[in-house]
Amino acid sequence: MDPLEQFLPQVWFIILGLFLFLYILLDGFDLGIGILSLTASTEERRSILMTSLGNVWDANETWLVLMGGALFGAFPLAYGTVLNALYIPAVMMIVGLILRAVAFEFRENADRKFFWNLAFGVGSFLAALGQGFALGTVFEGIAVDEAGHFIGGMWDWLSWRSILVALTLIQGYVLIGSTYLVMKTTGELQQTHYKTAKLATWTTLIGAVLITIGTPIFYEQVRSRLFEPPLLYVFAAIPILGGILVWCLWQSLQQGKERSPFVWTMLIFLLSFLGLGLIIFPYIIPPQITIYQAAASPSALVFMIVFIGFLIPIMLFYNIYNYVVFRGKISSEHYGE
Amino acid sequence: MDFLTDTVVLSRMQFALTAIFHMLWPVLTTGMAIYLVIVEGLWLKTRNPDYYRHARFWSKLYVLNFGIGVASGLPMEFQFGTNWAPFSEAVGDFLGSILGFEASMAFMLEAGFLGIMLFGWERVPPLIHYLATIMVAFGANLSTFWILVANSWLQTPAGGAFVDGKFVVSDYFQAILNPFMLNSVLHMFFATLETSLFVIGGISAWYIVNRRHEKFFAKSFKIVLAAAIAVAPLQIFIGHLSAEQVYHYQPTKLAAIEAQWETIPAGESADWSLVARPNEKAEKNDWEIKVPHALSYILELKPTLSEPVRGLKEWQPENRPRMVGLIYYSFRIMSGIGFFLVGLMLVTVFQWVRGQLAADTIARQKWLLFGWIGAAPLGYIAVETGWIVRCVGRQPWTVYGEVRTVDAASHLPAGEVLASLSGFVVLYSLLFVATLYFGSRILRKGPNLELPIPQEAVEPTLDTTPAQHEPDRRPAEAQQ
Repeated sequence: MDPLEQFLPQVWFIILGLFLFLYILLDGFDLGIGILSLTASTEERRSILMTSLGNVWDANETWLVLMGGALFGAFPLAYGTVLNALYIPAVMMIVGLILRAVAFEFRENADRKFFWNLAFGVGSFLAALGQGFALGTVFEGIAVDEAGHFIGGMWDWLSWRSILVALTLIQGYVLIGSTYLVMKTTGELQQTHYKTAKLATWTTLIGAVLITIGTPIFYEQVRSRLFEPPLLYVFAAIPILGGILVWCLWQSLQQGKERSPFVWTMLIFLLSFLGLGLIIFPYIIPPQITIYQAAASPSALVFMIVFIGFLIPIMLFYNIYNYVVFRGKISSEHYGE
Repeated sequence: MDFLTDTVVLSRMQFALTAIFHMLWPVLTTGMAIYLVIVEGLWLKTRNPDYYRHARFWSKLYVLNFGIGVASGLPMEFQFGTNWAPFSEAVGDFLGSILGFEASMAFMLEAGFLGIMLFGWERVPPLIHYLATIMVAFGANLSTFWILVANSWLQTPAGGAFVDGKFVVSDYFQAILNPFMLNSVLHMFFATLETSLFVIGGISAWYIVNRRHEKFFAKSFKIVLAAAIAVAPLQIFIGHLSAEQVYHYQPTKLAAIEAQWETIPAGESADWSLVARPNEKAEKNDWEIKVPHALSYILELKPTLSEPVRGLKEWQPENRPRMVGLIYYSFRIMSGIGFFLVGLMLVTVFQWVRGQLAADTIARQKWLLFGWIGAAPLGYIAVETGWIVRCVGRQPWTVYGEVRTVDAASHLPAGEVLASLSGFVVLYSLLFVATLYFGSRILRKGPNLELPIPQEAVEPTLDTTPAQHEPDRRPAEAQQ
């Protein structure tokens, strides 16, 4: 294979991975807080939860839109086939994201907030669920013909294994949402989210352990890759590192640290994401179509690198600036009049 | 009810429905973003607190529409994959890149600075805040640019060729600068601006008629009017240029716009049809009222044509657009609105010149103000009908002359598409009603004219106690 034809899809695989990771990380805590809002005991608390996201949810969601556009451009075949196979989870996610987004705008102006509270929480849950099923399908694989077109059924994405993956992702979102709230809130609300963070640490851990054990048992094509050196060492290291990170997270929660739980959770997300990337690579439609088969022409990939590539640092810069401007605690006494 | 089992028809309906609804929100926010730049600039220049309060008041309406615009736009992007997978694969090299550019250059810029624009008044210096407002407006209009680049390319594909059903790009810049691009971008840019101007003008007129804050809203009314003097006529001119291009590049669409079944050869004079009842079965108009020679003047500013206006019957029925009546009347509604808004602008300017729009006398111009209130929704209708002409008129092609819509759709079970379509109908109707309801609540509540000016912007001599330097961490809504 032409080295360029090999190199360019790899670069785009990494760029897409970066976009997806930023999305999962950033909108992950948005969605987690959305799910947590279903359990908020008072209207005031729910207001604080939503205020903590008011200035960031939109930019966070845009990483998904960006990932979608870039996937469309870099791997058109995968964009069509994957979304075709995931029609129902994709619609589930979109409807969830719509409900979540409009809840922000409408709740603000509503007297009776019940309906929009529900839209915020249920929308976040639906979006996370849809994403979880999509993630499950990555393990499960997508049935395609030789040209890479989807030939499976509309419900292929649903199995007890994808349900396990979806539930684990939701737990992960709740965990990162809780640690974000620990960082951004004070007082009783913060105490509540120390508790939810601890609980979510356990549930996420259980899910992650089951998936880690289950993956080589149930997925033959993954197993053959996993137990071959040198990947074997990498995959042996990931659970060990993961265990250490979870222990650090637990300690920081026990000691009542404010920022480090969020940082440890981010690292846990990063580690899981890297593990996932290594399992998938070089496939873009597992288990058959590689990034080289699905890639757009080299000229398209170069063209996109030129335009989007140089924007990545700029986008990161003003997104970080946004977080810096709004750093610090959200305090309850300042909300409402 | 055959269409209920036809996946292609259902996918088309879903795309049309989501596009028509989605359009309602960004069309206002892209134009209004420019207005917000203007009033904030006026505030920084004059330090008149009214302009600051204008910025705060209109941005409440802005953010309501913005959030719904973002949310309702998500299905647009994902449908290319879910419902139009063969299309995505065929044109992804180009169209996917463009959507990627839109997200990275435009959406992210808008979203990244929106938080500061809405909630950052007390947290950043005024100039940084102004920069954020400018970036939001710039991002919004950049997204108009990229989405119109993409759509124009569907109308007049350029910069490469289809090889084995897949578009291979040879020159990206030629593809971006395709024949329709410039006029389409400008037409849509002015469409969002004009719609927003008449919405802001109509709302201002409503307050003035109701004798609420007349002086305050006379300001916005005049800003809008001054902008409309340039925008409304320019829009008609660019619309005319776009129609000329349709004449040259998309003869089937022009024939449908004019409900012209027979070809009018070059060298002859063409009449313009004013009202007609197109009959697709009989391939003729059951009846019509024509303005003699007008079409030759509209297309070429000459009494006779230099190239023929080809009639629909020149093409086999499967090669020309259907729903001729829809295209025909959509076009007439759109252009009628364009001319009406110019007329309204001219009458208002006439009164302005006569000195009738001074803050203390403006409320007496009852009929004029009612005209503006009535004109508030017209921009939306013109935009929607314009897009119907553009996209229904392009049929049966998704990429004009290259990819047929029937070949572009995914092979999904009709039941799934019907289910998602029904879901979107319910959801979007809810969003539409809720926007109207909460929008009118914001309007009834009105502006807060006691809203304090951000501390950092106040002259240093006015500073009193150090306590005032504490940033107000309440969300913007709580302060309003």
